[in-house]
Amino acid sequence: MSDAKKTPVETDVLIVGAGPAGMAAAIALRRSAPEGAKPRVVVLDKGRSPGSHVLSGAIIDPSGFEGLLSPEEIGKLPVEAHVCKESFRMLFGPRKSLKVPWVPPLMHSRGFPVGSLTKIAAYLCSIAEKEGAEIYTGYAVTELIEENGRIVGARTGEKGVGKDGKPKSNHLPQEEIRAAVTVLAEGGCGILTGKLAEAKGLGGVRRQTYALAIKELIEVPAGTQTAGEVMHTFGYPSADGTYGGGFVYHVSETQVMAGYVYSLDYRRPETDPHLLFRRFKASAAVQKHIAGGKTAAYGAKVIPEGGYYSALKPYFPGCVIVGDAAGLLDSLRIKGVHIALQSGRAAARAILAELKDGRGLETYPELLERTRGWKEIKRVRNVRASFRHGTIPGIIGAGMAWATCGAFPFWRLRGFEKPDSAEMEPLKPGAIEKEAAGAPPASPLSPDRLTDVFMSGTIHDEDQPCHLKILDPAKCAECRGRYGAPCTRFCPAEVYRLEEGRLQIDFSNCLHCKTCKIKCPLENIDWTFPQGGDGPRYTRM
Amino acid sequence: MHVIVCIKQVPDSTNVRINPETNTLMREGVESILNPFDEYALEEGLRLRDAGARLSVVSMGPPQAAAILREALARGADAAYLLSDRAFAGADTLATGYAISCAIRKIDPSPDLVLFGKQAIDGDTAQVGPGVAEMLGIPLLAYIRELSAGEDGSFTATVSTDDGEETVEGKFPAVMTVLKEAHAPRFAPLAGAMAARRAKVTVWSAADVGADPARCGLNGSPTKVVRIFPPPSKGGALRVDAREDADAAAAEILRLVKEKGILPQ
Repeated sequence: MSDAKKTPVETDVLIVGAGPAGMAAAIALRRSAPEGAKPRVVVLDKGRSPGSHVLSGAIIDPSGFEGLLSPEEIGKLPVEAHVCKESFRMLFGPRKSLKVPWVPPLMHSRGFPVGSLTKIAAYLCSIAEKEGAEIYTGYAVTELIEENGRIVGARTGEKGVGKDGKPKSNHLPQEEIRAAVTVLAEGGCGILTGKLAEAKGLGGVRRQTYALAIKELIEVPAGTQTAGEVMHTFGYPSADGTYGGGFVYHVSETQVMAGYVYSLDYRRPETDPHLLFRRFKASAAVQKHIAGGKTAAYGAKVIPEGGYYSALKPYFPGCVIVGDAAGLLDSLRIKGVHIALQSGRAAARAILAELKDGRGLETYPELLERTRGWKEIKRVRNVRASFRHGTIPGIIGAGMAWATCGAFPFWRLRGFEKPDSAEMEPLKPGAIEKEAAGAPPASPLSPDRLTDVFMSGTIHDEDQPCHLKILDPAKCAECRGRYGAPCTRFCPAEVYRLEEGRLQIDFSNCLHCKTCKIKCPLENIDWTFPQGGDGPRYTRM
Repeated sequence: MHVIVCIKQVPDSTNVRINPETNTLMREGVESILNPFDEYALEEGLRLRDAGARLSVVSMGPPQAAAILREALARGADAAYLLSDRAFAGADTLATGYAISCAIRKIDPSPDLVLFGKQAIDGDTAQVGPGVAEMLGIPLLAYIRELSAGEDGSFTATVSTDDGEETVEGKFPAVMTVLKEAHAPRFAPLAGAMAARRAKVTVWSAADVGADPARCGLNGSPTKVVRIFPPPSKGGALRVDAREDADAAAAEILRLVKEKGILPQ
């Protein structure tokens, strides 16, 4: 059947990314179209299997499933627990913490399903497949095809290229897919989406900002914990008022998701988010939840947390952008799954109109604005910027947004202007103190970074060109002098290390989180696609 | 020429853990994959197909094992057959070999070449391929690392042995088991994956292939798994810290190797 490769692949809809947003679009497209006029829907994902590259907390606002799945299907979501007890704690240090007596109701999540988004994405894939969508995993889409001002399809990446850049005996060339509509559902900091947004001016009012989320699944002894109990923390170990917080979710009686989210607008170059995560886990408030446990899985991703003002214009002729790729995230609750699902459904409506009449795709932004999720994003539009001014103003901002349904403050708070001035200095240059001295001792409950990377299951064919391209090696030397090579610390997968003063890139460790692309102070790292099927192999993240 | 490749779906062993209390495999979060050794057998089959042979693939397993057959179709196989029947459950290597040999006879009473991976990564027995050769009455060549077929039904194969390698010339039919040193497996083109999605995987029961129920599954298995346990850790490993001074560490390792007599003098 390899003979078939000469015939061009044509489809009505091409969806790039098999996460929640892409799957919602696929399911809605197949379900809403009348019998006999079902569009062909092709979904491509660079992960090896459905869900391999999907990771989240995750407490999921179930509103996103309504109208998309049947009540029976919602009942069969692969989730073992619902939030039954929640608390917010301010951590003051490794030992001291205080339960926050009152939190704005819009941050509550009692009764929400809490579990693995990897499993939920795989479940959505199975439903989409049953509906007749075609999902192909292990295929990275590496470029969009534009003709006459319109996106008309995409190309997959080559496979079987050696590290010397030459084709190997099993070389597979790029393949072209022509599509009436292309849906970008790449997730946070999507590479194709970023390129398109930059080339076509689809950016929001402010530049997008990201937080790095690091998470472990910890197995705890039976009978010690309660399924459905969740805790959110803020304060320690964030050192300098950087927006960050932790979470502990008991997704079953014996499984705990522990994670730490740290804004990538931090300014101290010595910052090591993985170390912060370990300190978070070592704190008394968290130990209570994971005592006697053992880390069983690990992962990391970036979250687009800029909110309303950073969301992209999600439409370009022939193309729509959904979910995290478009920056659709409630930046107060750090929740995006339900909005991703709603955006996928809104996109499906616009796409069906387009396929029927040759126009209508341009109504997607308007349809998106009518979703409940978008209204939430709008309501908390100023909260993130309030946190830019410190934790206390942030909480005040959150409270005001809740009390006034987002009407106050009615002006746009400063912070995160587009980087059009030379003042943008994401990292403070200066002497780098070695922070590792304060690291908790390595243990089954506090693995070091490399042990964690092993548990992510990530793997890349090492006989391929390094997919993390240093644009100008001279800049790396400059960075080492000014910032002390922060990539060796911010990468949650220990991809970057200094070997006799030279930067060594162990790309096989990569978790595809894109932190390096975002945080390299000299914007000297280009994240390109490794061979499709490579990367993390999450199964229950 | 007709080549039949036998493949197996296995748990991805890089992720398998053993429950320390019950000594059973913890299957949660473990994916099922095409047995890595079988990828090389499939590749040899595909290379012969590139040269004009017809290529069939066969597997035995639960209905979800059709996934690896579709993967084989996506890479270029012509036809796929799945043996799936409760009667096959609990089969040891003898009963598995019997069922597979029945299927092969049904696919083609006189195939030119039957290929297997060297072994499966779950059981590690390397017995099914040789067993099938015996049952089919076809000569066996195990552990091949290279194979080329001539025009006249002859072949030349390179076989790895404990002491080195042998070059074997012969005539088909043959059963061969393939090592990972053979050609790198190819990737399925997207167009191939699309075609494979619509292609037919023939599913056969024990009755369909005319298998004697007494020789299938648990009934036909003279060996039983009595107990599964992780081997006790031997311990006593020497660690040399190379983080500070790699040269000194290398010298230390060399000294230890000499001292312990690890290398033949």
